[in-house]
Amino acid sequence: MPLIEIRDVSVAYGTPTRPVLDRVSLAIEEGEFVCLLGQTGCGKSTLLRLVLGAERPAAGRILVDGRVHHQPDRTRGYVPQKYSLFPDKTVLDNITFGPEVCEFGLAARLTPRFFRRRREFRRQAFEYLQRIGLEPSDAAKYPDQLSGGMQQRVAIAQALITRPRILLMDEAFSALDPGTRKGMQRLIRQLWKDTGATILFVTHNTHEALRLGTRVVVLAKEMPDSGSRVMLDLPVPEPCRDDDIPRLVRRLESASTSSDPLAPASALSEKW
Amino acid sequence: MPAAFLLIHAKPSRAWSVLLSWTLFAAGIGAYFYVSHARHRDNPEDRVMPTIAQMARGMYNAALQPAEEDEATAPPDNFVQRFFGSMLWKDTRASARRFFYSMALLVPAVLLGLHMGLFPYAGSFFLRFILFFDKIVALSLLPILFIAFGIDELAKVMLIVIGVAPTIILDTFNLVRGVPAEQTVKAFTLGAGDFDVAYRVVLKQVMPRILNSIRLNLKSVMLFLFAGEMIASTDGLAFRIALLRRHMGMDVIIPYVLWVALLLFLVDLGMRRLNRMLHPWFRES
Ligand SMILES: Nc1ncnc2c1ncn2[C@@H]1O[C@H](COP(=O)(O)OP(=O)(O)OP(=O)(O)O)[C@@H](O)[C@H]1O
Ligand SMILES: [Mg+2]
Repeated sequence: MPLIEIRDVSVAYGTPTRPVLDRVSLAIEEGEFVCLLGQTGCGKSTLLRLVLGAERPAAGRILVDGRVHHQPDRTRGYVPQKYSLFPDKTVLDNITFGPEVCEFGLAARLTPRFFRRRREFRRQAFEYLQRIGLEPSDAAKYPDQLSGGMQQRVAIAQALITRPRILLMDEAFSALDPGTRKGMQRLIRQLWKDTGATILFVTHNTHEALRLGTRVVVLAKEMPDSGSRVMLDLPVPEPCRDDDIPRLVRRLESASTSSDPLAPASALSEKW
Repeated sequence: MPAAFLLIHAKPSRAWSVLLSWTLFAAGIGAYFYVSHARHRDNPEDRVMPTIAQMARGMYNAALQPAEEDEATAPPDNFVQRFFGSMLWKDTRASARRFFYSMALLVPAVLLGLHMGLFPYAGSFFLRFILFFDKIVALSLLPILFIAFGIDELAKVMLIVIGVAPTIILDTFNLVRGVPAEQTVKAFTLGAGDFDVAYRVVLKQVMPRILNSIRLNLKSVMLFLFAGEMIASTDGLAFRIALLRRHMGMDVIIPYVLWVALLLFLVDLGMRRLNRMLHPWFRES
């Protein structure tokens, strides 16, 4: 039985309703690393929210571990596209938030045992801080004192420290420079291999999708005003040979741009 | 001075800014004393615009002598004791007590707004009623309150709470609704429970804005406080101002008005400092 099973899921927003996802079906096995590609606005973030249980589909079902979840919980970690850090907490407190709330309720936080345990959480948080390439001196900063890329990395550490079975990441590397991005890709690959987590990773970067994933799924619209569907579901050969990449990139990009709404506009601009 | 000194890009020097910011104060005080002096030249008995000496004497008496209504007690000799037995202190204490009772009652208002914003059932239950309640003119309830709660403290405190609490509840509700959904979703995925999310994630990040909203509503708190005191009270700053109006006691009324403004300014400043101290991460924007 697949760990995540998305069955004929449709979603529509607004009045009059505009379809975003149209009968999307996808089965993801435990331990897979699925990269989700698609044009902006095609519903990738929406799909992640559905898997989290933060939203209900208009039609269809989403089974995680064989059952429907009606609210997010700690089995599915999440790195959202934005607003991912708690602005009122320091970097360190953001990272230790997960372990703290998992073990201690509101009242239990007043006991001495909590303060002893917290020292352990903090030590662990510093370890993660180092792994994502931040300085120990950044630990006391507040999120809005960090650059966008640093915030993304802290958000990843925050999600990783609770070791969720499923990790949903929404353009988690989009604000990183190529060097840091490579480092983070290696880190995620390593953590995925070590923990055996199942990862659903949204990205706009085709090369990144091929380098990271064991499988790449492309969402795209068939018509400009219809909902997105799964256009391509491509297992990535393991290991992915460098000379395979250009061919796969071409296949992926042609799938995701089959109904490019900007295409006529760009043709027009060529004429000018 | 550069040619564009009145335009958007003008950059007044620090000295100029400070000077300009005090100009209207100086002009106001100057104009008052000029007119007051002129009136006293015409009529030395003038009571409408007391001179600075009269006001100082009036305030000295207010701050060091007991109020008329309890003159009977023997005057203590110590300076500090005289202040604590004085009219000014008695009135300030009475008003401050009502003020702080009402502020304390705003805490449940904030919590109600938080729960309405987060828990859909609480929202459906309370929202419409509070929206309606918010539209009731609190002062029009005054007679009803006096009938229902009597004319003692409770009625006055209730007037303030009824006047201000709906605004605070609705403001908190809107602030809570404004917290991005990602924040609560993220907290749940990290293993937080509903109350962790309510108190450790949402309340903590809207708290500085709630404090600012309470600061903006200090004026309404004082408005309702003064209305209650002027109409039915035997002590308090507004009671005194209303009482002295009958004898044209402008030499005490004007210092009292300034004293109330100063107190309110200090409370506001204190809350701003507290806000900054408790929420160093908060950028006012
Ligand atoms: N809460 C909402 N209310 C109304 N429309 C929404 C809502 N959330 C998303 N949408 C619409 O659904 C569509 C898909 O949004 P989504 O955020 O899932 O796109 P995306 O694929 O993640 O895009 P991007 O790559 O730019 O992040 C968009 O057209 C958006 O306008
Ligand atoms: Mg998105």
